[in-house]
Amino acid sequence: MADTTLLPLHRADGSATYSKNGYSVVAAVNGPIEVQRRDELPEEAAVDVVLRPAAGVGGLRERHLESVVQHTLRHVILVSAHPRTLIQCTLQIVTGPEDDSVTCSLPQAASDLPVLPALLQASILALLSTSIPLSMTLTAAFVAVNSKDTLVLDPSVQQIKRASSIHLLAFSSRGDLLVVESEGDFTIDKWEEVHQKAKLICHGEEGDESESEDVSMKSDDISKLENVLKDAVERQIAKEQRWNQTIG
Amino acid sequence: MPREAEPSFNERAFLLQAVQDNIRLDGRALDTYRNLDISFADNFGIADVRLGKTRVITRISASITAPRHDRKLDGIFTITTELSPLASPAFESGRQSDLETHLSRILEISLRRSQALSTESLCLVAGQKVWSLRADIHVLDYDGGLIDACCLSTLTALRHYRIPDTSVKGGELTVYTPLERDPVPLAILHHPLCVTFNFFELGEKWLVDATLMEQQCSEGEVVVAANPQGEVCLLQKGGGGEMDALVLLRCVEVALGKVRELGKVVDGALERDAKRRDKGGKSRELRAENER
Amino acid sequence: MATQTIVLPGEAISSDVLPIPSNPSLALKLGPGLRHTPPSTITSVLAGTLCIDQRKNAIWVENNSGRYVPQPNDLILATVHHSSTDWYHCAITPHTTLAQLPQLAFEGATKKTRPQLNSGSLVYARVLSASKHSDPELVCYNPSTGKSEGMGELKGGMVFDVSLGMARRLLLARQREEGGIAVLEEVAEKVAFEVAVGRNGKVWVKSGGVKETLLVGRALQETDSEGLGVQEQGKLVKKLLRGM
Repeated sequence: MADTTLLPLHRADGSATYSKNGYSVVAAVNGPIEVQRRDELPEEAAVDVVLRPAAGVGGLRERHLESVVQHTLRHVILVSAHPRTLIQCTLQIVTGPEDDSVTCSLPQAASDLPVLPALLQASILALLSTSIPLSMTLTAAFVAVNSKDTLVLDPSVQQIKRASSIHLLAFSSRGDLLVVESEGDFTIDKWEEVHQKAKLICHGEEGDESESEDVSMKSDDISKLENVLKDAVERQIAKEQRWNQTIG
Repeated sequence: MPREAEPSFNERAFLLQAVQDNIRLDGRALDTYRNLDISFADNFGIADVRLGKTRVITRISASITAPRHDRKLDGIFTITTELSPLASPAFESGRQSDLETHLSRILEISLRRSQALSTESLCLVAGQKVWSLRADIHVLDYDGGLIDACCLSTLTALRHYRIPDTSVKGGELTVYTPLERDPVPLAILHHPLCVTFNFFELGEKWLVDATLMEQQCSEGEVVVAANPQGEVCLLQKGGGGEMDALVLLRCVEVALGKVRELGKVVDGALERDAKRRDKGGKSRELRAENER
Repeated sequence: MATQTIVLPGEAISSDVLPIPSNPSLALKLGPGLRHTPPSTITSVLAGTLCIDQRKNAIWVENNSGRYVPQPNDLILATVHHSSTDWYHCAITPHTTLAQLPQLAFEGATKKTRPQLNSGSLVYARVLSASKHSDPELVCYNPSTGKSEGMGELKGGMVFDVSLGMARRLLLARQREEGGIAVLEEVAEKVAFEVAVGRNGKVWVKSGGVKETLLVGRALQETDSEGLGVQEQGKLVKKLLRGM
């Protein structure tokens, strides 16, 4: 299951760490702060996302990931509440699962997708640790479809390499689909199956405890991903309210 | 461009008065470091250093490339530091601030030019293939003490890192995976660390490991990089107010002591981590396959 | 009175959680952290504890994290950044737009006899207005009475950072009963000092000497960071006084 901490950093307004499936990401949010004139929006807050990879300075892949996260956050943050300001989100990948630390001289053509759920979750958690108003929260699920056409949740690096398609889906707290990114060969029906499963993982459905047989799962904890968010917030509030325990 | 907020006149006056009385805001002595905490990830070569509120993670990675044409027998070692808004809203990503340039230069000289890591040892096939090692320094939290923390973090990560074992037979290079042969430690020739001094009262008083506010109220800075053997690798006084030469020499003396102290903390952390990993290691020794 | 329901942004507040007003003609007041979508949906926009006040028929989300955002009527500590013809431009929090403090917004100030503040001066002021569309405006006196009421330039002393939650507790009328703060009372028995608490998480302390001021500051900061209860605060103060 995911490992989360809120407010591990002192200087940033809000921060969080999120570790799952070999990925460990630190996110920091600063805002609302002063914005540069050229980025200023008259009626809304500007949202800026910076992604730092674990090793190296980052290139095209990081820019693409930043853009996905930035567009998602713009929907989640109530940008009209703080016009002419900047909300700055910085993401740092600390570790990844394929941490060979030895790379060939040719850059690997690995996919962007596997790190995206951790990036999205970390940024949401960091936002929750600030007082920036949000219209919803978000949870992300990562599903692979293997050669036997079964769905694999939280696939390992090997499973991703051998999968026929991989999918990232992020849902809002209301159950609406916010982000979809898919790679590989798949049919619409298969995607629909992936969609249903991902929705179940993130959002949960009342009374639907049945497991369909063609889903293989690594983790035995099927609790809604949304509970991860709530749990992190509860722990933080409990820490802040320690002094209150002694008041009758 | 955002800049760190300057302390108010009251705060500055108070801090200077306190220093005059040899008192620091957090109760430390003038020559004491903040609490230093070092931890490691599961993978080799990632060191997480916390010095008070400052936090730095350095990560070592390696790849095989052709050597530089003017240094055919040496491997390549690069250190990158990029300050991001994670550490402080005053840092802008994509723009190299003065602090970053200063930091890069100090680390470049104390760790790279001092040959702490033997670049000769990184050579695999002379003139054709060498290891290119990268140290990526990520500053997560900034409250002063940046140079000291980054140097600690990078040196610790280098000492912690294990590079794949290799062998060359007739010009053919074989790189062994961790399953075939255990990765080996790097050839580190000596352990330089940096100690930063910030001075006050026209160079009469100095303190070690300044917090951000102490740094902002100080007149100037002196950085000494040295190893536990007592050899000085770098002595830098970058502008700022005047300082008596004898006070400067005293700083170097204090630095030598501090480097030994800090070095012991690093040794301790590495030992504890080795023990933690070795729990599995003992059982590996008992396996039937052994080196003949 | 506060009930401990934790809400996340996007959660709708169900009507059975809403307070039952003792006075039925009193309209429901939505405090910070809640958004009203007509006709009758109330959603949370912050992560925090849902608080209900039966008497005032008010409901809000308690959230003390993140960056301070200026609210009208808040008392804050600001640093003067620079001055222009008629105003001082002050920083309430770092990296945000400067707030404006009219040079005459002090007790008894006229064009000839106004206080001269320099860059770096510290002021204790009240937020007069703050909206998302304009820069915040400050005053260092009460416009209706003309009195400073403790506001104005602060000379000497030292500023200590505390969390926004702690600042809020310190500003309560009944610090000990509602905010669980006894530390200042305990210190005051042995050490004389002055404090000015800013809702923006800054506390100004002035005492006899450096050691005394640091004692008060450290007592506050440790109470805050360790979440000490009233008893523990007493122990902390005793320990600090012994160390003096």
